[in-house]
Amino acid sequence: MAVYERSYGRYTGLTTPEWSRFLILPRYAYETVFKSRLFVSFFALCFLMPFVGLLIIYLHHNLSALQFLQLPPEELKRFLPINNEFFWRGLWFQGALSLLLVLFVGPALVSPDLRNNGLPLYLSRPFSRTEYVLGKMSVLLILLSLITWIPGLLLFFFQGYLEGAGWIGDNLGIAGALFAGSWTWILFLSLFALAVSAWVKWKPVARIALMGLFFVLMGFGEALNEILDVWWGTLISAWHVIASIWLSLFGLDPSNDLPPAGASWVALAAGSAIFLWLLYRRIRAYEVVR
Amino acid sequence: MNAPSPHPAAVMHPEVPDDRRVIFENVSKFYGEVLGVNRVTLSIPPGITGLVGPNGSGKTTLMNLIVGLLQPTRGALSVLGVTTDRPEELFRLIGYSTQYDAFPPGMTGYQFVYSFLRVHGFGHAESEAMTWKAIERVGLVEAAGRKVAGYSKGMRQRIKLAQAMAHQPSVLILDEPLNGLDPMARAEVISLFRELAAGGLHVIVSSHILHEVDLISDQVVLLNGGYVVAEGEITGVRDEMEEQHPAQVLIRCDRPSLLASRVFEQDHVVEARIHEDGKGLLVRTRDADQFYLLLNQVVLENGLGIETVMPTDADVHAVYQYLIGSNGEKS
Repeated sequence: MAVYERSYGRYTGLTTPEWSRFLILPRYAYETVFKSRLFVSFFALCFLMPFVGLLIIYLHHNLSALQFLQLPPEELKRFLPINNEFFWRGLWFQGALSLLLVLFVGPALVSPDLRNNGLPLYLSRPFSRTEYVLGKMSVLLILLSLITWIPGLLLFFFQGYLEGAGWIGDNLGIAGALFAGSWTWILFLSLFALAVSAWVKWKPVARIALMGLFFVLMGFGEALNEILDVWWGTLISAWHVIASIWLSLFGLDPSNDLPPAGASWVALAAGSAIFLWLLYRRIRAYEVVR
Repeated sequence: MNAPSPHPAAVMHPEVPDDRRVIFENVSKFYGEVLGVNRVTLSIPPGITGLVGPNGSGKTTLMNLIVGLLQPTRGALSVLGVTTDRPEELFRLIGYSTQYDAFPPGMTGYQFVYSFLRVHGFGHAESEAMTWKAIERVGLVEAAGRKVAGYSKGMRQRIKLAQAMAHQPSVLILDEPLNGLDPMARAEVISLFRELAAGGLHVIVSSHILHEVDLISDQVVLLNGGYVVAEGEITGVRDEMEEQHPAQVLIRCDRPSLLASRVFEQDHVVEARIHEDGKGLLVRTRDADQFYLLLNQVVLENGLGIETVMPTDADVHAVYQYLIGSNGEKS
């Protein structure tokens, strides 16, 4: 009979704070994502609009540059005023790019772990399903933040710096709208991408599913409105819904083509809840044998 | 301070206290209407424990229950005194290697071990040191910088093992860990299991290859259809079945007829058959201990020249055949 001495020692040292562990997951995801030249080029392109915005703000405050370009300052202020609409347009453009970025990165986030039965490796550690989802989501949250609210707020503060301190105080609502509007869209898109990635294991199919769901629902929503002569059809279109939310956040007039802001918030929350539910249905450490 | 008393269900090494055992108390797990495991009562002491059973017998379910990935539908389970309702504590005790090649894409062997240590909550410096230590133990230092995707099956098994033991767990759960290993690597890994077990670690290994488990395990748990059909040291399990399935012993000796005449006088001997070459005797007995005593006596009294004495159905394969009427091979 084997006699066992207890000579084996467990680790008794310090560990990292629990809240920080999910950040390990994006680390290697970025390494993979930035290996693609196509993605790097696209990601660089995502900063073009903020750069153009930066130039416009600069021109607004540099008379000599305007004179050099032979642009009358009054005309520039009339055609391209730096106001809530300026920042709304920026967010709208960057929001559309966000969708393309999600198409690049999203499908590969959860599906490889499900395909390889890799979840037990994460979940047999002091690491919960929520932390796993948060870790995977953070890949998108960080990338999308870099192209939406971060450049948006930088432009806002740049404008405030050039215009004078009073401008920031008077226009704090724009900063709030930028921040809240970006995060609403980022969270929704991330949940959407993760849910699709969790249910469609093959990357190209997941990409098509993401795109298909987005554009098909958009077209279907518009068709519903047309055929049934109703306004609520576009509530199933994420783009119509977020556009309505952004307009209301920036205090701009609502468009007739878009559903009301209140209904849009409800639709977006319902969509997010469905994606979250779908995600948690799939993020399990084991296969259910049927 | 007094050591806790052994669990009543403890049959293997009763001297080992509860807080050093993996204990299942009437545990059942159902996936909807599908049975995973049913009414499992086990008490596993330190050492190498083999979980044996054909596909679908409940090995992986049992492992997932220990790891805390599954919650029992009924019953209770504790790992070294820690129950599954304290997952944070439980996960620290356990190292798990699944049967799947579940490697995140694009990672090197080093990154694979290192990143999961970070997920576990170790800082950079500790993770780095622990990663190299684990990689060294499984003999993959040279290949650590290469992508796991380029590893051979044997190397993958070893890097999975490194991942499971890198954080210094007390209970190592390994699902089919010897699959795909060449004989040399297999011997090295088995020796590593023994080394870890000798240090007081629980090494719980599943396999469908019976002789493999027989070779490496201190005790085995035989599963079939979600039920534990036998547990204990293989020889002990075999002894308990002697009434229905007499033990077979092959004796290669110079005078088998003499031995045959002596064994026929014994009540416990069911059959004795001389080999065709006239140099061996196959005995079937209901009391192997009594038979071995008699054999000693014959050797001493008659100067019988013995070449080998070999129980032919005391391995886990035979035990399995007797218990479930199947050879337990993977279907």
